[in-house]
Amino acid sequence: MAAEQREIRDDALDGSQLAARLESIWRTPSGLIGTLMSVDHKIIGRRYIVTAFAFLFLGGMLAILMRIQLAGAEQRLLSPDLYNQVFTMHGSTMMFLFAVPVMEAFAVYLVPLMVGTRNIAFPRLNAFSYWMFLFGGCFLWISFAFNVGPDVGWFAYTPLSSLQFTPSKRADVWAQMITFTEVAALAVAVEIIVTVFKQRAPGMTLDRIPLFVWAMLVTAFLIMFAMPSIMIASTSLILDRLVSTRFYDPSSGGNVLLWQHLFWFFGHPEVYIIFIPATGMASMILATFARRPVIGYPVIVLSLIATGFLSFGLWVHHMFVTGLPQLGAGLFTASSMLIAVPSGLQIFCWIATLWDGRPVYRTPLLFVLGFIVIFVIGGLSGVMVASVPIDTQVHDTYFVVAHFHYVLIGGAVFPLIGAVYYWFPKICGRMLSERLGHWNFWLAFCGFNIAFFPMHILGLMGMPRRVYTYTPEMGWDRLNLLSSVGAAIFALSFAVLLANAIYSLRKGTLAHDNPWGASTLEWATASPPPPQNFDRIPAVTHRDPLWADSNTLPVIAGLSAERREVLLTSLAEAEPQIREASPEPSIWPLLTAIATTIFFIGSIFTPWAVMWGTPPMAITLIGWFWPTGSKEDEE
Amino acid sequence: MTINESNARLTYWAGVALGPAAWAANLQGVYAITHLACEKAKWGGIALSTLLVLGALAGAVISARAIRRRAGIEWNDTAGGGPRAFLAWLGVGTGVLFALVIADQLLAAVVISPCLR
Repeated sequence: MAAEQREIRDDALDGSQLAARLESIWRTPSGLIGTLMSVDHKIIGRRYIVTAFAFLFLGGMLAILMRIQLAGAEQRLLSPDLYNQVFTMHGSTMMFLFAVPVMEAFAVYLVPLMVGTRNIAFPRLNAFSYWMFLFGGCFLWISFAFNVGPDVGWFAYTPLSSLQFTPSKRADVWAQMITFTEVAALAVAVEIIVTVFKQRAPGMTLDRIPLFVWAMLVTAFLIMFAMPSIMIASTSLILDRLVSTRFYDPSSGGNVLLWQHLFWFFGHPEVYIIFIPATGMASMILATFARRPVIGYPVIVLSLIATGFLSFGLWVHHMFVTGLPQLGAGLFTASSMLIAVPSGLQIFCWIATLWDGRPVYRTPLLFVLGFIVIFVIGGLSGVMVASVPIDTQVHDTYFVVAHFHYVLIGGAVFPLIGAVYYWFPKICGRMLSERLGHWNFWLAFCGFNIAFFPMHILGLMGMPRRVYTYTPEMGWDRLNLLSSVGAAIFALSFAVLLANAIYSLRKGTLAHDNPWGASTLEWATASPPPPQNFDRIPAVTHRDPLWADSNTLPVIAGLSAERREVLLTSLAEAEPQIREASPEPSIWPLLTAIATTIFFIGSIFTPWAVMWGTPPMAITLIGWFWPTGSKEDEE
Repeated sequence: MTINESNARLTYWAGVALGPAAWAANLQGVYAITHLACEKAKWGGIALSTLLVLGALAGAVISARAIRRRAGIEWNDTAGGGPRAFLAWLGVGTGVLFALVIADQLLAAVVISPCLR
């Protein structure tokens, strides 16, 4: 108690003293080791974002290779074997190494700022998550460089991926890359759920949570319930291949369709794991640039939650041609069509917000408008393929390729690029060029539609997916050429984005705290934010706190000014409950990730990896959790 | 806390729980008996779906009852700060939406012959 009384609290210090003190407490140590020890959510979030975009560029280069190959009939740029690897690597990279991680990356960076806390929950787990993601991605790409890149498609159907039909290590590489990335994703999901439920600023009741945070909360729950399914699937596949279990071998009582059920029970929610965060980004951008709160906040939250639940009831629509009973297929058609209702509700809310607002057409808003247009087209073709007769006709054709690119690029990448323009000033302290931004948008919008709209027609003409070439008699060459030209324009738009980012990092206009005049808490601190995020924790009295209290944002006092500490609040009302120590930087998450990586990679070569791979993991975990006697261990 | 307040705390989010739970039960239940539906349980799926539509709607009604006096607050005040009314509205919306989804699946069960392969 006496020690408690002697502790210096933030209310005992004036502004500059407090800022300096908190900065020294929360900053990441300098030097290489310090960098590797960082548990600052902003540093890890930035690393996550940069790494995910690096994988986007790698995956995009593969897409360009495929489009060159398909631009004309009987091209010989890629051999059939290499083409199989290229499309598998493209899909796997985009889905597992870019789309999901980049959404989580933005959440890692932004959610703590938006809810008004100083660090994410379980910061060391956050660091571990990033290292696992990085090592998993490198493992996949290094394997590809050594001609062991997976070649079984991004969903690796059995029996194609079984030992009998893929005797090399390619399918194992794919399956274990899944384990890496899913461990990383699950870790971030746990952190986000706990941060949102327990670390919100006082007064941020459930109905004052920013919509992006709501979106990430729903996404985190989706990850928690969907990812275990694919981890079970990929692990059992490795077991089939390594120690001759028979999960997917019909001759021994296994079932190849079990793979499809397990995969798509994950795989369809995966689409929403990518899409839902993007809707959160769109809602934030729309409100800021329409200059008014989003219309229908409860409706949008309802839509997010309903979409999250419904996403678990659609997986069989990927399996309509597997011979399931038609009544069973009909049930999933019903769910698949009805999920358009919550998505439609959100779109109507956004249109109403624009209609009733005073829109300012800056680059982030352009990308959101592009998203709405493209996503609606993708949604319409989605309703089409939810119907069993249509799906039976177009299954595994380019119609489906067009559909899911409209949904995933339109529904996720467009708002994501809008989000890059929107939050770049907060993250980097400089504005991106608007002029280049407009070029970026129009190149992306035109290039995307030129690239992918013709694929609908190609699919209806019967062009199957995953063919490495075709004969001139098929009559697919002109549309394919058009598609390839569009892909080149689309790729150019990303080159403009990259150039804009590099140029603006050096010469962009300096951003002040709130350059867009936005309403949420991340704009209440400096750009970029200091290590402690906020000198004093804000107290929230309004859903749009910066619009309600632009000059006099209330704060609460009483947190320690001697050690890393966050405030825990109640779940619904966000009433202050207790002060909680926040972990210091540590090298152990990195060492644990290295030990886990050795174990994971070893276990695709020998089952004995379970024996010699676990002790190093155990040692690093003991080191991680060993009491150090520091103040963070006292409570 | 009064008894009424205690009851309201228990029930205002009923629709958020009951709607999706009823839908999940319907999806899994009807899908599980699909293989038997042709010979043995022709009306089983229809009966189950009908029951679960009512279950989802019951969640919506319970949520609505929990906030009937303060129902307008969430729509009139953009400041927020009423998490109970907010969750209750989510309950009403979720219950109705999932009842609609189950009803749509019920229609599929009525229209499509369970013997169709």
